[in-house]
Parts: sequence; C-alpha cells; structure tokens
Amino acid sequence: MDQLNISPETAQGLQNLSAKDKQELNQFVQNEAQKAQIQSAVHSLTETCFRKCVTGKISAGALDRNEEPCMRNCVDRFMDANMTVIRHLEQMRTL
Amino acid sequence: MSNPKQEVMDQVRQQAALANARLLVEKLNEHCFERCVPKPGSSMSSTESTCMTACMEKYMASWNTVSRQYLGHAQKGVGSGQAIGGL
Repeated sequence: MDQLNISPETAQGLQNLSAKDKQELNQFVQNEAQKAQIQSAVHSLTETCFRKCVTGKISAGALDRNEEPCMRNCVDRFMDANMTVIRHLEQMRTL
Repeated sequence: MSNPKQEVMDQVRQQAALANARLLVEKLNEHCFERCVPKPGSSMSSTESTCMTACMEKYMASWNTVSRQYLGHAQKGVGSGQAIGGL
C-alpha cells in the first residue's frame, strides 16, 4: 500500500481530535488491517486452488460443475491441513 | 480541513481497494498468461485472447468462491472443515 497523503492541515486536525474520534479512527484502522489480511489470504488461496482445480482447457468464464466444488473443497482441506500442522506442532511441543 | 478523521478514513479505504485491485490484476495476468499463451507467437491469436478473457472471468469467479468459503470458516470458527463444504 502506498503512503497516505496527509496535508499539514489534516495532520494538525488529527492532533486535535477528540478522544472518541481518536478511538474510532484507531478501531477503523485495525479493522481495515484485518480486512487486508483476509484479502491477502484469499488471494493466495485462490492462486493455490486455481492451480489445483482449473486444470482443463479454459473455454468458459464460469467455473464448471467440477471446478466449483473443487475450489470449495480446496479451501476446506487447506484449513484442515493448517489445523493439522498447528495441532501436531502443539503435540511436539508438549512431548 | 473540516474533518480530518473522515479524510484519513477515506484515504485508507481507497488505498486498500487500490492495493487489492492491483494484486488481482497481477494474479490474473500471471495465471492467465501462463495458461493461455503457452508458446508466444509473433502476435496474439484470437484463440489466445478469447482464452484470456474466459480465464480472467474464471479466476475472478474462483476468487469469489474462495472468499465466500473462507469467510464462512472465519465466521463459524474453524471446525471440522466441513461446516459448509457439503452444500
């Protein structure tokens, strides 16, 4: 993401925000950061699953009846795999 | 400036949307070029450009499907992974 383009006036105005506004702005930025993180995960998952599920000749714009469920399963199994890794690491740690 | 808070929020939103769009365009290009132009010739054939547009739509449909499925998990909490997979 590029840098924000904040004018001196705005910067000054930010200093003078009420506590409530500051808190709201803070919350907003945190929410946006979380949203960005989710979007980034969706991008990388789409990439992985597209490679696995869309293997045939590309002739139509929509996902066909095999690709669509494959994409969904791909997401589910990726999460399972993720969980398995975490659980196993946890187990290794306590041994 | 009348409302610095609003101004910052608008900028953050706008930049986030831009970054997301940029990344999507990059991925579309990368994957569809890979799939549709396996052997680059001296010009883009009509088959290749038809493939590119179909591929773009397919990739975006994939993005939406993945997004929906992923968010379904995030909201329900990570369970067996089959929470909505069977639908």
